[in-house]
Amino acid sequence: MEETMDQSITRREAIRKGLIISGSVLLAGTLGRPDLKSPVALAEQKKGGFVVEGVGKAEGYSVAELTKRVFDAAGGMQQFVSKGDVVVVKPNISWARAPNLAATTNPEVLEAVIKLAFNAGAKKVRIVDNTIHDARRCFALSGAGMVAKKTGADLIYPRSSLMRDMKIQGHRLDVWPVFTPVIEADKVINIPVAKVHTLSKLTLGMKNWIGGVGGRRNALHQDIHQTIVDLAQFFKPSVTLIDAIRVMVKNGPSGGSESDVAVMNRLILSNDPVAADAKGAGLFQIPPQSIGFILLAEKRGLGTSDLTKLNQQQVIL
Amino acid sequence: MKAKHLVWLRRISQALFLVLFLFLLVETRFPDSIYLEYSLAVTTEQDIRLHYPSTFFFQLNPLIWLTSLLSGHIWIKGFFWAVGVILLTLLLGRFFCGFVCPLGTLHHMAGRIRPALKGKKMIEANRKRGSQKIKYFLLLTLLISSLMGLNFTGLLDPISLFFRSLALAVFPALGNGIKAICDVIARSDIKPLNLLSYGAEVLVSPVFGYGYQSFKTGWFIGVLFLVILFLNRIRPRFWCRTLCPLGALLAIFSRFSILGLEKNNETCTDCKLCERDCQGAASPHPDQGWDHTECLLCFNCSGGCPENALSFRFKWSHLPSRGPDMGRRAVLGGLMAGISLPLLGRLDGNIHAVSDPRLIRPPGALEEKNFLELCQRCGLCMKVCPTNVINPALTEGGMAAFWTPNLIMTLGYCEYSCILCGSVCPTGAIKEISSKEKIEQPVRIGSAYIVRGRCLPWSGNGPCIVCEEHCPTSPKAIYLRNEVVPRSDGKESEVLLPYVDLKRCVGCGICEYKCPVKGRPAVLVIAAGESRSVRNQILLDMQGGSYAQGGLASPRRERVEQGKPFHRLDRR
Repeated sequence: MEETMDQSITRREAIRKGLIISGSVLLAGTLGRPDLKSPVALAEQKKGGFVVEGVGKAEGYSVAELTKRVFDAAGGMQQFVSKGDVVVVKPNISWARAPNLAATTNPEVLEAVIKLAFNAGAKKVRIVDNTIHDARRCFALSGAGMVAKKTGADLIYPRSSLMRDMKIQGHRLDVWPVFTPVIEADKVINIPVAKVHTLSKLTLGMKNWIGGVGGRRNALHQDIHQTIVDLAQFFKPSVTLIDAIRVMVKNGPSGGSESDVAVMNRLILSNDPVAADAKGAGLFQIPPQSIGFILLAEKRGLGTSDLTKLNQQQVIL
Repeated sequence: MKAKHLVWLRRISQALFLVLFLFLLVETRFPDSIYLEYSLAVTTEQDIRLHYPSTFFFQLNPLIWLTSLLSGHIWIKGFFWAVGVILLTLLLGRFFCGFVCPLGTLHHMAGRIRPALKGKKMIEANRKRGSQKIKYFLLLTLLISSLMGLNFTGLLDPISLFFRSLALAVFPALGNGIKAICDVIARSDIKPLNLLSYGAEVLVSPVFGYGYQSFKTGWFIGVLFLVILFLNRIRPRFWCRTLCPLGALLAIFSRFSILGLEKNNETCTDCKLCERDCQGAASPHPDQGWDHTECLLCFNCSGGCPENALSFRFKWSHLPSRGPDMGRRAVLGGLMAGISLPLLGRLDGNIHAVSDPRLIRPPGALEEKNFLELCQRCGLCMKVCPTNVINPALTEGGMAAFWTPNLIMTLGYCEYSCILCGSVCPTGAIKEISSKEKIEQPVRIGSAYIVRGRCLPWSGNGPCIVCEEHCPTSPKAIYLRNEVVPRSDGKESEVLLPYVDLKRCVGCGICEYKCPVKGRPAVLVIAAGESRSVRNQILLDMQGGSYAQGGLASPRRERVEQGKPFHRLDRR
């Protein structure tokens, strides 16, 4: 058993080198250029880290406009997406729930981000999530399917042929099946929704990467904080936008009733995944230092939970 | 119209109906092109239903209509199609068998393409035989048995049999075969091959199912289907002539057929080509006992006659002098079997006692007795289920419930707001409900309990809240308490322990499906607490819930509400 595992890894690594030689030209047009720079390298401490909070105060404000303003405060979408890029947006569409239940990323936020990415010159935008409920129902009910239809983004269904064992090189996870479209993108935008969670306390940006892998995900809970951090150091989004327009404050992470939802009308944008989650924790009045995965991630050097070290801005609409 | 044209007309009709059947079968799936609109209203309470009338062939089927009427005392949805078929049959004879029936078409093809028998042997095989009475025996068994309250028509009904065989055996087998190939290609490290496998998966998944469905006892359904197809090599359309109960029913109704076969004896050279090609073994000689009840109206005899000696004409004088040749033994046998099978079916104790804990019916299923009066075992609910949780029962419900839908939570789970199974059930054995009803009543299909010895936190093996995390109700039926448990190293650790609140649990089974303890999970769903049953309840304040309080009332329950008497047994 172990032998075969070792073999498959070495073979894959050999082929990856082969791919580097043969070049990514082969399929750049169809599935995007594979990210050949080692995806497992630790995230560098970003210079010029920022965290932008958008607040929709006005009655009937436009979520799309708030999304745009938040990105503008960070220098515009073109800071994160270049012309011709294949962009993956990773919302949280785990559950087959209607948008009002806030179990999934708000479709209006998702739509706004995709439009911004296209305007910034993205060649393709892909909506990618390995859902928990049946993917077709998740996409249909959460509004993500309609967003794809309206914006022309591709909806990538989780399929076994898109899962691939990869070296995560985490402290807890070594080899794990990864949902390949995420790592084959030029740019990745993480768009989680803020929710409470019984085991990890909160589900924000870093925990959203559980939707970037396949395999025995229900075993990750046995060491949830460590596995979240392992995944967060493997997947490196260009930027994280936490959707806190409607926030599930109890019965997380699946909810199921509008009484579980608080309307907060907020968005949090940051290029530092730890800072984004730390700021997100503030929405729930939870000190970031009391959340295991934020502590561990900071220790691992994935970012900082000390928001004063960052350029903080607020956008009010 | 020339006789040859009639043959072509029949072939075109057969092809169209077969294609329509296959199309509707493929479209009996979660429609992955429906995306709910979110911008009009954030709160979407739209139900997702199918694009196409997947029950059309079942509505066209007089046998299903008649047996549902006999056993369940209901007029099934769209039964007027079946009435239309009967009216046409009265005038034309078994046109359904020759022109419409997709299973008949398949048998026709299996017998015609490179036939196993040639010349005299084929003429011999197409002679009328006593065994053709068996179908009347089977028909009577099904009808009497339905009248006695056990409806297993679907086991032999050609439409149900064809749908079940294709949906639960043939398509899954092909789909999984293709998947095996895709997996090999996907495992390759050559990128174009990976893309090829992804492309293949995208292309075949609408046809073979998004998640590669497979079903318990699928192999058996498939083998039976192959055997039935193989019988065409012994005698063409063996099934239609000898076994098909729908064919027998239509034969009875062809009593007044005014479409008759005429023969010009002067031009006939007795070449026996008509006998060789007769699909129904109806001995196509009007003067020598042509049996209009066995005639499938394939028009091979008149179309193939080199001398044009045979022709079909409308004439009152064609009114047959006698009815179908059933035989006394077939009738008596049918009566006996029809009476004994329902009685034997009750010996399992599954109808009047609380049923097997693992017999979990789809949401909206009627109470067991009413359910067995209507369920066709056709497999529509199983095919349409997006999670593949609905499987044909083997022994869970006893003999009477063989191949009826049963939810196996280790293979899938019931999606909280999904109502597709009820929306495709051709006879209403599973009631059509809305998502809102399902969630708000709620419609319970069972209840969950924690097996503490296997549960990771309960047994001191570490933290895990997977069942609670996935629980779809709000507030959650599975809740957690922070408690101290002993560990194997002698120390103690603080973990969250799961508990089930029975009042909230709907039995959806996602906890069992997602539990990391595989095979026999640490949280199990049993049928107890299911809304459809008055008796199968755990809590005092649950009175068979939603079914008694309207909305999902069964025919019998409606009588109770109107103050009419009902069987004491139901209430035991």
